[in-house]
Amino acid sequence: MATTACFIIVSRNDIPIYEAEVGSATKREDAAQMHQFILHAALDLVQDLAWTTSAMYLKAIDRFNDMVVSVYVTAGHILCICDFKCYRDKKTGENGE
Amino acid sequence: MASYLAQFQSIKNSCDHVVIAVEDVSDLWPNIKSRFEERLPFKRASLNNKTRNPVFVENFPAEFILTTDSRLRSRFPQEQSLFWFREPYATVVLVTCEDLDEFKTILKPRLKLITQNDEKEWFIVFVSRAHPSNDNAVKMAKKVYAKIEVDFSSKKRERCCKYDIHGPEANFWEDLESKIMECVRNTLDRRVQFYEDEIRKLTEQRFMPESLAFMFEMAHLYEDALREYDELELCYLETVNMPGKQRDFGGVDRGDDLAALLNPENKPLAQIVQDDSFREFEFRQYLFAYQSKLLFKLNRPYEVASRGYSFIIGFSQALTLHENMLPFCMREVWVITACLALINATASPNYDGLVALEIEKEFFRLKGDLYSLCRVKFMRLAYLIGYGTDIERSPVNSALLSMLPWPKPLVWPSVPPDASSEVLEKEKVILQATPKIKHFGIQRKPLPLEPSVLLREANRRRASLSAGNMFEMFDGRQNSSDGSASDASSRMPLSNKMNVISMLRTNSSPGNFDGSVDRPMRLAEIFVAAEHDLKHTISDANLWKALSSVEEFEQKYLELTKGAANNYHNSWWKRHGVVLDGEIAAVCFRHGNFDLAAKSYEKVCALYAGEGWQELLADILPNLAECQKMLNDEAGYLASCVRLLSLDKGLFSTKERQAFQAEVIRLAHSEMKHPVPLDVSSLITFSGNPGPPLELCDGDPSTLSVTVWSGFPDNITLDSLSVTLTATFNADEGAKALRSSTATILKPGRNTITVALPPQRPGSYVLGVLTGQIGQLRFRSHSFSKGGPADSDDFMSYEKPTRPILKVFKPRSLVDLAAAISSALLINETQWVGVIVRPIDYSLKGAVLHIDTGPGLNIEESHVIEMETFGNISQSSTEMAKSNGTQNNCSPSYKKEFQQLKLQDGRIEFPAWASDTNSVLWIPVRAINDKLPRGSSSVTPQKQSNLDGMRTIALKLEFGVSYNQIFERTVAVHFTDPFHVSTRVADKCNDGTLLLQVILHSQVKATLTIYDAWLELQDGFVHTGQGSGRPTSDFFPLVISPTSRAGIMFSICLGKVIGKDEAEALQPESILNIRYGIYGERTNGAHPPVAVECTEPEDARQDLIFKSAIVLQRPVLDPCLAVGFLPLPSTGLRVGQFVTVQWRVERLKGFEDNGISEHNGEVLYEVSANSENWMIAGRKRGHVSLSTNQGSRIIISILCVPLVAGYVRPPQLGLPNVDESNISCNPPGPHLVCVMPPALSSSFCIPP
Repeated sequence: MATTACFIIVSRNDIPIYEAEVGSATKREDAAQMHQFILHAALDLVQDLAWTTSAMYLKAIDRFNDMVVSVYVTAGHILCICDFKCYRDKKTGENGE
Repeated sequence: MASYLAQFQSIKNSCDHVVIAVEDVSDLWPNIKSRFEERLPFKRASLNNKTRNPVFVENFPAEFILTTDSRLRSRFPQEQSLFWFREPYATVVLVTCEDLDEFKTILKPRLKLITQNDEKEWFIVFVSRAHPSNDNAVKMAKKVYAKIEVDFSSKKRERCCKYDIHGPEANFWEDLESKIMECVRNTLDRRVQFYEDEIRKLTEQRFMPESLAFMFEMAHLYEDALREYDELELCYLETVNMPGKQRDFGGVDRGDDLAALLNPENKPLAQIVQDDSFREFEFRQYLFAYQSKLLFKLNRPYEVASRGYSFIIGFSQALTLHENMLPFCMREVWVITACLALINATASPNYDGLVALEIEKEFFRLKGDLYSLCRVKFMRLAYLIGYGTDIERSPVNSALLSMLPWPKPLVWPSVPPDASSEVLEKEKVILQATPKIKHFGIQRKPLPLEPSVLLREANRRRASLSAGNMFEMFDGRQNSSDGSASDASSRMPLSNKMNVISMLRTNSSPGNFDGSVDRPMRLAEIFVAAEHDLKHTISDANLWKALSSVEEFEQKYLELTKGAANNYHNSWWKRHGVVLDGEIAAVCFRHGNFDLAAKSYEKVCALYAGEGWQELLADILPNLAECQKMLNDEAGYLASCVRLLSLDKGLFSTKERQAFQAEVIRLAHSEMKHPVPLDVSSLITFSGNPGPPLELCDGDPSTLSVTVWSGFPDNITLDSLSVTLTATFNADEGAKALRSSTATILKPGRNTITVALPPQRPGSYVLGVLTGQIGQLRFRSHSFSKGGPADSDDFMSYEKPTRPILKVFKPRSLVDLAAAISSALLINETQWVGVIVRPIDYSLKGAVLHIDTGPGLNIEESHVIEMETFGNISQSSTEMAKSNGTQNNCSPSYKKEFQQLKLQDGRIEFPAWASDTNSVLWIPVRAINDKLPRGSSSVTPQKQSNLDGMRTIALKLEFGVSYNQIFERTVAVHFTDPFHVSTRVADKCNDGTLLLQVILHSQVKATLTIYDAWLELQDGFVHTGQGSGRPTSDFFPLVISPTSRAGIMFSICLGKVIGKDEAEALQPESILNIRYGIYGERTNGAHPPVAVECTEPEDARQDLIFKSAIVLQRPVLDPCLAVGFLPLPSTGLRVGQFVTVQWRVERLKGFEDNGISEHNGEVLYEVSANSENWMIAGRKRGHVSLSTNQGSRIIISILCVPLVAGYVRPPQLGLPNVDESNISCNPPGPHLVCVMPPALSSSFCIPP
């Protein structure tokens, strides 16, 4: 299934320093903004969560309908954030809410 | 079961406290009831919870009820364990008795009867009515009470207490309360145990946990009650999800769309029941309502919100599963109402500040989430109705809506009949809606607000039913609307009518319904159909009102957005909050409220810019710019344009970027009245040139080249440009601006700007700020680019550049001027004076030397000045010596240069080759000395004075880029005659001939060759013989090595004395003439004089004449007086003793040969002595007469006292009027005499 994911590295002061869109789907014109928006909003959750756990991999910390955001925090608090589509069982329907 | 449920509900609603039964045996209650009830509610109770842990409950409510009361009597004893919780928890038995017999016979059996029921928790209160003054009665009462205690209290448990009506004991009430509590606790424990056993026994019986829960709630053990409800919920979910247990979901009643998750009394429990279970839709809400009620009682609104949010999510999923049975958009409406209900319930300000900061933050975050969720669903409904054009297509809305699936009703709603006018209206709106044109002509594909095209989705859903089976379709609809017949009946005819209408219109396949179903609905029709269906779904008037018009929608939308934004801000989720601020701004913008919009947009832009999320910034920044333009905020608008330009180049097309630049230039040149400052740090960056910093010596001007990167898409003309330098060593000193004089055109990308650099103070400098002007626009840039090419990421560094661009060294000597030689040069001859010019790591390019000679020194201006490269002389000489002997490999590496220069107006210009190498300047000078050098002899000793030959040359060197560097030095040069002459009489011969030895000292570091010498004698002397006074010429040429001596002998004799008048014409002194030649190097010292015209061949001999005056004195051969020191007394001298010192003066010659001035034969004498050593008595100075005859003699005596012991010089006799040469001292006086210390004086000795 054609899908797209966005991987982004965010520096310690929340500045994106690397961005890559991967996936087989043709790139939507608006997708870049969408990904950026979703990943940027996820920083709010990271800021709360990163200091409460000793784990570096924060797994799926945010969901945006069927987009899942997953974060890896390095020791220097550089974030590697990835969002990707998560296709679920049709029966459960939307899972973002 | 249904009857139980109804009963259960009513019981639950009516009683909320514990009952204490009062068994009034002796009719005492009316008298003491008020006093007992005063104690209610009990201040403090200690109960056990389900796990038998003690829990303290404050303000424990209870009620005393007589056992004869109808409320207790009417019940069947133990009728329903289900309702056991309302039975009394304690029984108080009130008795009184004043007679022992009466007690034994009547009261005791009765009490036994009452207390034999084990189920009851009882205790006895003995009421004493005896007045304290009545001793007998008191005694009796005591006796009876003692009897009761014996009979009913046991060791394990006190079951009695005594109450005195006329004045109860102080601790009675405490005693009573503790007894009541004990009973309540025991009853509670027993009943909890019972319910638990029951639950275990009857897992199917679902009411027991709730009964238990309710019992806990009554006992104010809310925690336990909540736990029971949670357990109940779990039990329920277990059963409801069991396969084969799927039952009717519910939720199809009118008003079900209105979430009842906080309203436990929404529906009577009896209505929810179905067979042996409950409808999920109602029951789950019912359970949550009770849970939240308990949580509110526990003052934990945060948990209500938290549980509520997950409940809504979970419940929403459950609704999705049953969506095809529910009314259209039922799920969305339910979520909206649920969220709003939760928000309202938790909005009370009383909850603020009750909890820890962390929880409070989380609370706000949850409320933000609730608002946000509500907002999304609300937008979805609005879109379905056709308000999509009024929803901002922003990233947030797009992300929220475009991934949210459409509702999936069994059949998409169809257009109601007689709705054609509405359809027309909607169509008009759709046609009128013009896509918003972004400022600057930015063209972007609008972001989607739908997961898939609504038109297709709606039509597909309609067609998803096989078109041929119309009946199936209706069947399906009938099924779906099962349970609400009215709903179904109202819809069916509508559909039928609609079909008729559409059939009439299309006519594609007459007589068949299929055609009408197949005809796709138009968008406007979809909107109208959705609106109509929603009207049926929504029972909340307020919600419907909010969707009734665009204005109402916007108001509600704004309210929800603001709520979400505020709560996110309070929870420190600034990104969520700020993004929603942007949505508020969009609404303000649409309504022309640019001021508010700009403020909000600025917040959003600041966040995105601060964190560098450029794509998001690129989306929002043009909106801000447009607001600012509308507000006439020129500075802001310009700043926004600059920020747009400085964004990633890929985010905007070149055309758009050119539009930004055009705006900047248009504003800069036309509209603004006053200069506007603008920070362009992100757009124009600058750096010094790579490599080491420019190094300058103190006082040197230069030019500085700066690389400027322009982010403008086109060339841009800067009216002026300047860059400041900041000293790194001294922060106090203000930065100095360097101006580029002319207008500069910056082309896109890299530019190199050159600015003039005036002399700076010593230190190192970094680039500070770049400022400039475009029209009325004053821009400045602080941004220091790393100097890399454009491919290095546009990562802006606000750090100060640390790499210095300019270093100005502290003042140091840049050049040295020194005399080339230290040895003396020939005076009165033209000599080369060497000046060594030594540049010290500094170029002397174009340097000018001013030469000014001091007194007594002239420059031979007619002659050229020579300049040549200079190696270390000593080094080169040794090298030369070496190269002659051994190898020639150490030849100097520099190239020998030589040039002749002309002195003009006392200055010469240095040739180019001399700028970096050491050079020596040979200046032809001539030192003038008119005085004839004088020879020395024993008579006239040589006076050591070098100052005579000292001359100075003042040198001033101007060099540097603009002759800004000046070096001044005065060089001293020593000039001298070639020889110093000293004479002595070598021998006096018997025949009167004197051998005069003339000693020649060479004064120069050069070889002197004497070719000839002759002596011109003064008056009174003549050469012996008839010679010309020249020594024998065979000895010549006589070579004298540097600083060595040579001697010449002259034989002379005394000649006749000439008369006085003639003597004046004659020379008073003799002159020695020497003709000599000199061989020397100018690099060493004295050398042959510089020929003014170099016509002579190199080897041509240059004879020089040296003249020296010699004073000859006639020798004095016969003294006329002799002075002798007479011996001192032989006893020796002693301090303090007088001694006579005597001299004898004797005349050796007769009077006639008198060169001595005497007055009548008197001789002047003078005695001199050191007054510290001698005390002289008598005349120190005076005349004594001495006969002028030869041989006459006289003795001069002086009485002296020596003052100090030791060797002292004795007094001396002098004859001032007589020339020393006429005095012969023979024997001469002693140099020192010995003086003894004074003799001891015994008169001072005192015998012991």
